[in-house]
Amino acid sequence: MDVFLQVLANGVMLGGLFAIVSVGLTLIFGIVKVVNFAHGEFLMVGMYLTYLAVTGLGLHPFAALIIVVPILFLLGALTQRFLIQPLLAAGDHHIQIFATVGLSTVLINLALLVFGADIANTPPSGLRQPVQIGPVRVLLGQVVILGAAIVLVAALQTFLARTRTGRAIRAVAQNRAAAELMGIDVNRIYALTFGIGAACVGVAAALIAPLYPTSPNSGTYFVLIAFVVVVLGGLGSIRGAFVGAILIGLIDSVTGFYVGADMREVAVFGVFLAILILKPSGLFGRQLRLSHVSL
Amino acid sequence: MTDIPIPAAPSAGLSVFPRRAAAALALVLASLVAVPVAVGNPFIYHVFITICVFAALSTAWNIVGGYAGQLSLGHGIFYGLGAYCGMLLVGAGTSPWIGMVAGAALAVLVALAISYPCFRLHGPFFSLATIAFLEVFRVLALHFRDLTGGATALMIPLKFGSTWMVFRDRWPPLAIAFGLLLLTLAVAWWMRSHRIGFYLVATRERESAARAAGVRTVRARLIAVAVSGALTAMVGTFHAMYLTFIEPAAMFSLTLSIQIAMFALIGGLGTVFGPLLGALLLVPITELARGWLGAKALGLHGLVYGVVLVLVVLFLPNGLMGLVSRFARAGAGGRGAQAASVPAVLRAPERPAVGADLVRVEGLQKRFGGLHVTNDVGFTLREGEILGLIGPNGAGKTTVFNMISGFLKPDAGTVSVRAPDGTWHRPARPSDFATLGVGRTFQIVQPFAAMTVEENIMVGAFHRRSDVREARAVARETAERMGLAPWLGSEARGLTIGGLKRLEVARVMAMRPRVLLLDEVMAGINQTDVRRAIDLMLSIRDTGVSIIAIEHVMQAVMALSDRVIVLSSGQIIAQGSPQDVVRDPAVIEAYLGKEFAHAHA
Repeated sequence: MDVFLQVLANGVMLGGLFAIVSVGLTLIFGIVKVVNFAHGEFLMVGMYLTYLAVTGLGLHPFAALIIVVPILFLLGALTQRFLIQPLLAAGDHHIQIFATVGLSTVLINLALLVFGADIANTPPSGLRQPVQIGPVRVLLGQVVILGAAIVLVAALQTFLARTRTGRAIRAVAQNRAAAELMGIDVNRIYALTFGIGAACVGVAAALIAPLYPTSPNSGTYFVLIAFVVVVLGGLGSIRGAFVGAILIGLIDSVTGFYVGADMREVAVFGVFLAILILKPSGLFGRQLRLSHVSL
Repeated sequence: MTDIPIPAAPSAGLSVFPRRAAAALALVLASLVAVPVAVGNPFIYHVFITICVFAALSTAWNIVGGYAGQLSLGHGIFYGLGAYCGMLLVGAGTSPWIGMVAGAALAVLVALAISYPCFRLHGPFFSLATIAFLEVFRVLALHFRDLTGGATALMIPLKFGSTWMVFRDRWPPLAIAFGLLLLTLAVAWWMRSHRIGFYLVATRERESAARAAGVRTVRARLIAVAVSGALTAMVGTFHAMYLTFIEPAAMFSLTLSIQIAMFALIGGLGTVFGPLLGALLLVPITELARGWLGAKALGLHGLVYGVVLVLVVLFLPNGLMGLVSRFARAGAGGRGAQAASVPAVLRAPERPAVGADLVRVEGLQKRFGGLHVTNDVGFTLREGEILGLIGPNGAGKTTVFNMISGFLKPDAGTVSVRAPDGTWHRPARPSDFATLGVGRTFQIVQPFAAMTVEENIMVGAFHRRSDVREARAVARETAERMGLAPWLGSEARGLTIGGLKRLEVARVMAMRPRVLLLDEVMAGINQTDVRRAIDLMLSIRDTGVSIIAIEHVMQAVMALSDRVIVLSSGQIIAQGSPQDVVRDPAVIEAYLGKEFAHAHA
């Protein structure tokens, strides 16, 4: 019984990790309606920045947030302004996929050139300490990540629901042309949204780096999971993504323990493919039409 | 005719292969062999073999990613299958030549099984699904280590000789790689210039229009993915033998899959020779960088790929081939606009008599949520008749059309069509309707934008004939009748709205339909064009085609229709001769409101 509880606890913790990585992707996906294939590489860039801040400047990983988050916001906003925005008019998803795939290739290989293929380990700064909660044991850093994911989801929800800018963002998401007619600067909103989405990954990066090794390919694994979460959560629903992330965390953990560690990915992607093919609107979402369906 | 003031662009069709282009291509291909043989340096051999391999992989990918527009990022699956098939059969003492064939066959099966469900997905979701499948294959390859050796690479036993595809000399692998490239290019070229290629591009451009033209779009895409997967697997087998060792991470690799797609985009998505051009440009740069800078250049070749890809996406969306054809066009020059002398429409001397029932519509019901879009709609269309379908906006006219062409399944009710042999059928899918001779146009025009006017019409013509030359002849003749002849070589996207509407009718007419469903073909065109369109409809009817026309231009409705059906709020509220119907108080009320009807009663 205790073992099962421990497996569940591990799953929830993993879910928190997936959630914090996916929040930003969901936001960009839901508002700008662009699938950011470079999202994982944003995470990787954030992890390297954290690594530099911790080892170079001697900061605590939490303090590194002050540096990492603004830089990633800027990275996201610039990506939107100079890479995505020129392509939005084309309305062609192929070209947008290639654009973000291209960006991800550039970032991975830049990291390879600068840092080499070796793994960079950010000092854990106490975040690897175990915490006993009832019958289960988890790492302090994992608890922090789960808590941060919850705070991030709540903060984004509040921001979108309550603030003037948040309402403008939602308006743009629902009807770009109508929002434009109401005097909303759509391009500014898109850049802002992309920036916020990337900043969320920055938060994730600073919290993840002390627990996981950083390498140029760190992002690839996480981004695939993030896509799974976003689709599962119902395309653009932040709360749905959170629930989806916990679910995927549980599937991953349970499969890993009861079936075999190397089958976790098969289970996760199996679920992903099943959802995509059988219920493309996701488990919790409404149909969000990304592609033009004629007729 | 105030229409279409654009110059006739050279045809994008490949049957007219310019001699200079052919010479350039021959030169490029010859140099792929000649340069390494002349230089004789092992490293140069390696670079050119790599060019051939990647050009072939990318050309094969382009059949799915370019022609069919399904952006697969999981082609590593087929490459890996080919590689492992070859390797395992060599381990079992069988020649990799047999492994190549086995790998191709396996790839076809896997491609069909994976793609059938995935084709329901659009845009980025399709790409994501292919990535997920690729990851599953990679993990499974790692998991079944008895078969694949797991993470430790499989080495091929060094048995030299052509049977084992392992050579001491440098030229035999080059010859094989070059042969595979030629094979792949030939297949890609053949497909692009035959019916299947037209079908794929048409499906990519406008899926619903392609279905209306009788294209079985899913089948066309499955053919594309099967051919592409088989070719990719064959190259994979060879490449494994050439590399002499394989491991799951390198064979079922996302990076490789992305690279393959990248070369095609950089060279020119959907063009036959674009991928070759992309590989030709990028492989040498990166291989040389790797050769010269060695370990210091870790990541450099990827960086080059990424930067070039981003730049191409931003500034050269049509890739290098787009650039080439722009120069070629500038060089050709002087092929300006032809004087638009549109021939008069020829009228048959007399109209054949209205015959027996051809289409029977009974009790059609369609509900979207709680809304009754059509309620118990029933009517018949007789041979040689023009039936006008009118009604206010939102009356459900287009929904009726969608149900009598197979695009929407009615909740209740039936649509029956009489075949030429006199039997009645209840077709279900658009292609079934097309087979029975029902052709339709769309309210919002749906041209295959990237195809020329001629190619657009050919897609329709292919419905009845599979020979390219015959289809082209039909297309030309139809274009002549529709007054589109001067623009045969222009891309459809350049036409004005009037031109596009005629193009849609031409595409349907090339299918040689017996029933023509016209959805507002006169909306938004000028007076002169309306009169011409009316004459055209009459001449079409006189050739024995029956027509149902949704139309708001009352002048046309009155002049054309033998009978008029008035639809309002999903129900038929009146039918009869045009003159009677427009005087019907219920019709006036539906159009203008109760107050107006009372005031003029």
